[in-house]
Amino acid sequence: MENNGDVQMTAENDDQEEEEVTAQSVLLAIEEAWLNEKFAPEILPHRSDLVDCMLQQITHMEENMKRLDKEDLRLMIHRMELDRIKYVITNYLRARLEKIEKYTIHILSQEATRSSEECYLTVAELQFAKEFLTNIEMLFKTIALQHMPGNFQTFEVDTLTVKPNLQTYVFLRANDRINGIIIPGSMDEEIDLEPGSQHIIQYSAVADLVKSGAVKLI
Amino acid sequence: MDPCEVEFLSEKELVSIIPNFSFDMIHLISGSVGPFRAGLPVKVPIWLAVNLKQQQKCRIIKQDWMDADSLNEAKEEEKLSKLFTKMPSNHYMEEAQLLLNVASDDISDADRIKTAIKDIWDIRMSKLRTSIDAFLKSEGLHAKLDHLTAMEINSVRPLLPHALDQMLRIQTDGRATQSHYSGTSQ
Repeated sequence: MENNGDVQMTAENDDQEEEEVTAQSVLLAIEEAWLNEKFAPEILPHRSDLVDCMLQQITHMEENMKRLDKEDLRLMIHRMELDRIKYVITNYLRARLEKIEKYTIHILSQEATRSSEECYLTVAELQFAKEFLTNIEMLFKTIALQHMPGNFQTFEVDTLTVKPNLQTYVFLRANDRINGIIIPGSMDEEIDLEPGSQHIIQYSAVADLVKSGAVKLI
Repeated sequence: MDPCEVEFLSEKELVSIIPNFSFDMIHLISGSVGPFRAGLPVKVPIWLAVNLKQQQKCRIIKQDWMDADSLNEAKEEEKLSKLFTKMPSNHYMEEAQLLLNVASDDISDADRIKTAIKDIWDIRMSKLRTSIDAFLKSEGLHAKLDHLTAMEINSVRPLLPHALDQMLRIQTDGRATQSHYSGTSQ
């Protein structure tokens, strides 16, 4: 029985050999997306492609692990690795939710101007944002607004909007060579980034480069 | 970012171990490790090495750069250089901490290595503080941070960007008021 299980395991693993190159690169990409999301002041375009792919890998791996003997060394090692990957994914999603809760109105109004191909939120995140806003509005109304004099009863979206500070300073490492970044606030001062070099600069100067993956936040 | 998250990132770095068991190659999502042959060195991620060591399934071989004499040379160089010198690893502090803690019995000279690394860290941190001070006084808008390692950057994270944000705010407000005043005087 055990032998049988073992053989199956290795056979499956051989099959995976080809996929594995991509699984590894997807993991690296998720880790980069996680750090970018953590350090960027605004919400970044979602990477549900990566998340879905990795969740699939995890389920696949968990299926395989069921077939392993409890004493098997691999079981412990795989479990530890999965825990590490799950941490990255949950932390990434949580960072996004935090931003959605903080900048709800701003994010929703920005999102409304984007077409469905270039939207930053996933379908679930968009739904969450909308419900969150409705709930906040409801809360304000039932707790306070309805007890106010007539002309103070409106829920003023404009005064409640919180916007991320895009001028905030961030640390970054360049992935590619980039020429002629204009530093905001200077007299047309330009800088070039060498691949692998590290900098501190205002986020607004590099926001597009973060989204395109030419630099990563650290 | 929490320092333990920086440590988490450093645990992906590879380290050589000598296992005392034999096992075929293990296919992880992050890449394959092994095959393990008792007595033969093999490279694994630090998180795995630490775990195997805790179960007494391996000995850890110190990283090539964990040599007290060469670290002391690096320390002298760091002292003399005005700029930051290149460190052997982007996570030198965390790697040293992790490996020396769990495997001090495998690594000869652990104490001297620890002291040397601590000294290098102290020199670099004081250099970092001085250069941040100079940078803020020069009212710079951008700085290059080559050779600063992950933990060093993280150690100034709450303070430096925040200070710069505040300075920018004061400057923009100042400019706004100025133009306001010049506007009214006309």
